Amino acid sequence: MQPILNATVYIVDDDASVREALAWMLRTRRLLSEAFDSAEAFERLCETPGSGPGMQPACLLLDVRMPGMSGLALFDRLISRGLIEALPVIFLTGHADVPTAVDTVKRGAFDFCEKPFSDNALVDRVEQALAQSARVLATRSEKARLQTRLTELTERERDVMRLVVEGLPNKLIADQLDISVRTVEVHRARVFDKMEVKSAVELANLLRNI
Amino acid sequence: MRVPLWLPFTTSDRRWSLWALLVMLVAALLVTLVWLAGRHEISQVQGALERDTTDAVSDIRSALTRNVQGLQALHAGSPTPGSWAVEAAAQLHEHREWVRLEWRDANLALLAQADTPFLAPVFDRLGRDTAKPDLVLACAAARKFNGPAYSSSYFVPQSDGLGMEVMELCLPLASAGRVTGYVLATYSLQGMLVELIGKRYTRSQEVSFTEADGTRLALHGAVRRGSRVFTAQQLLDLPGNTLVLRMDGWRGAPDLFPNVLTALVTAMSIALVSVVVMLVKDMRRRLKAEHDLADALAFRKAMEDSLVTGLRARDLEGRITYVNPAFCDMVGFSAEELLGHGTPAPYWPPDLADEYQQRQAIRLAGTAPPREGFESVFMRKNGTRFPVLIIEAPLINVLGRQTGWMSAFLDISEQRRVEELSRASQERLQATARLATVGEMASLLSHELNQPLAAIASYATGSLNLLQEVASAPPQAVPETLSDLGMALRRIAEQADRAGKVIKSVHDFVRRREQVREALPPHRLLDAIMPLVSLQARKLQVRVVTHLDQALPNVLCDRTMVEQVLLNLARNAMQAMDQPELRERVLLFRIRRAASTEGNRWLEFAVADIGPGIPDDVARQLFTPFYTTKSEGMGLGLSLCRTVVEQHGGYMDFTPNQPQGTVFRFTLPAGGPGAARASLE
Repeated sequence: MQPILNATVYIVDDDASVREALAWMLRTRRLLSEAFDSAEAFERLCETPGSGPGMQPACLLLDVRMPGMSGLALFDRLISRGLIEALPVIFLTGHADVPTAVDTVKRGAFDFCEKPFSDNALVDRVEQALAQSARVLATRSEKARLQTRLTELTERERDVMRLVVEGLPNKLIADQLDISVRTVEVHRARVFDKMEVKSAVELANLLRNI
Repeated sequence: MRVPLWLPFTTSDRRWSLWALLVMLVAALLVTLVWLAGRHEISQVQGALERDTTDAVSDIRSALTRNVQGLQALHAGSPTPGSWAVEAAAQLHEHREWVRLEWRDANLALLAQADTPFLAPVFDRLGRDTAKPDLVLACAAARKFNGPAYSSSYFVPQSDGLGMEVMELCLPLASAGRVTGYVLATYSLQGMLVELIGKRYTRSQEVSFTEADGTRLALHGAVRRGSRVFTAQQLLDLPGNTLVLRMDGWRGAPDLFPNVLTALVTAMSIALVSVVVMLVKDMRRRLKAEHDLADALAFRKAMEDSLVTGLRARDLEGRITYVNPAFCDMVGFSAEELLGHGTPAPYWPPDLADEYQQRQAIRLAGTAPPREGFESVFMRKNGTRFPVLIIEAPLINVLGRQTGWMSAFLDISEQRRVEELSRASQERLQATARLATVGEMASLLSHELNQPLAAIASYATGSLNLLQEVASAPPQAVPETLSDLGMALRRIAEQADRAGKVIKSVHDFVRRREQVREALPPHRLLDAIMPLVSLQARKLQVRVVTHLDQALPNVLCDRTMVEQVLLNLARNAMQAMDQPELRERVLLFRIRRAASTEGNRWLEFAVADIGPGIPDDVARQLFTPFYTTKSEGMGLGLSLCRTVVEQHGGYMDFTPNQPQGTVFRFTLPAGGPGAARASLE
């Protein structure tokens, strides 16, 4: 798997040696990491506007048991912020508790790993998580772009586009909108131009994503 | 209540009619007695009166005779009429009954006369001649009888308006067979009554002369008192005349107690009646008491029948004298089967009968049982056994003498079952709590160990990654990679060191428990667990035997832990013997000095059972943690036991018991302060 550019692995663990060891190991796999010693510290980062999580591909290695806010509590906060799709969470735990693990995975955790993690399996999961994060972010930006293009259309162009996507021929569109066929053709060309598509089929595919 | 509904009705009816009859009879008897007493009294009074009358008549008769002689004496010395008159006057002085004396010749011509000095001359008013016919008759009779004769009485009116009844006495004077004259004496009948009858007759009675037809001629005596009259009459026969003497006696008629006898009888009757009344009252009280008693008896019976507590009374010989229905239900025998039954009682389990017999002997010797009762085992008729709580109290009769024992029985099998249940659940709870603690401990420990292990794993993985890269990396990058690797290895060493410290701290924690060790007599350990052990032993019907050497030194140990060890071994032993085919079940605790060690420094504890023993394949893994043969076991018991013993520096092992079963042994250090004292005990 190719390293993902600008990806960040966030590490939240109260044990400094674990943080350091993880960061070092990730570095040997060409992964950048950022470590936090508590859930509260990481939450402060999330609250900073325009920063890190949700903007760039990233994933979170989260210790379950910590003094102060526990990993599970932080996970709940992230869910309510709608972050866990762009920021997949991998739980780290010293003592596997099956019901807890099942519960968190059901609620959207990316994985649940038991300490000690002996080989590169953890890193593989981290890379998969980062890939998911990148994919989610890419889809999101695509959608955002589509939205801006749609806002550039005029009222009449949007009407014409709706009927085109429904598969009506120009003549029928002209009848329905009570305009001339010629005018329909002009609007149609302008819609294709603004939406950066070459055919009605392409346009329909594009709109289906929204 | 069926019978008493009608029974008291008729009995009280009959009783009342009997009482009425008795009262009537007594009343009739009393009335008859009083009447008879009255009759008797009347006849007595009448008889006395008759006697008085007779006496009075004879008094009069003899006085009259004396008077006749006195009159004859007047003529003793041939008197002259003059001298005779003087003599006669003297005689009249002495005899008040006479009114007048005359001396007449044979032709009744008056020769001399004398009148009584006490009255005015009687014949002044009418003259003496009016009496002539009477005189003639009397004198004729006198001459005929040749003796004194009396005339019939006649009335002589007086100047004061009244009069008097008088009677003449004619006494012929004879000389040589010829009548020469007569002496005439005029008797006043009134005077006769006054003078000739004794004073005592006239004091309380009225005396009168009457004619035959009842006409009263003269009267003398007391005034009338009372209205009841007793009358007696007696004829006074005189020559020439016959008079009737009548006596009247009075008694107070409304007198309630006419005389002593009647009074006595009446008083006795009253006493009798009052006794009867008292008897009736007493009877009524008795009846009421009887009623109350019957009520109380019914109440008591209802109470005894409604009790769920069994009641049984025994006399001093141990025979059953009373049982209530609850007791019969309890033991399954009917009251008829139990009453009068001596020892051994039918509900005694045969194998325990000797023990119970001894207990009863102690009881009969006068030792009071504990007030809070004692527990025992009884056997129902169908052979099942059940535990009972017995509370006994001496049975004291109304005289304050003990006549037996009253016992109350509570079937406590249900209570036992509940106790057993609660004990089991308690134990389960404790086990769970212990397990939770163990789990918490394990979780903490694994977290503490996992942190360094995670770090080590990370560094190791990273190092491997670097080593792979070194192969393909340009030579100038190698030194940097090597320094990275060195750093990672140092970190690995650090983390390994950290993990080691965690292990050591756990070890230290365990070692710290040594400080709570105390020196105590070994039997205390057994005493502490015996309640729990005997509870289970009773349930599994195991006999517990303890065997302690004399003069054991103190044992130095963590008391709680060692008690747990002993309890664990005892439980295992009892469970091993819980086999249906095993009849005899004995659990043996033995404490003695360990033979193998020098001096007295070690004590050997042994817990032995006579169960089926331990199979070889099980024996090999017996002390392995989490190895168990029990469905609900954790598999930690024996391994923990061994750990505890080893912490004390001792060892634990097991050998087959002879002829069967298993013996677990472990050693603990002896000594500590107080060891010497303990061995002196």
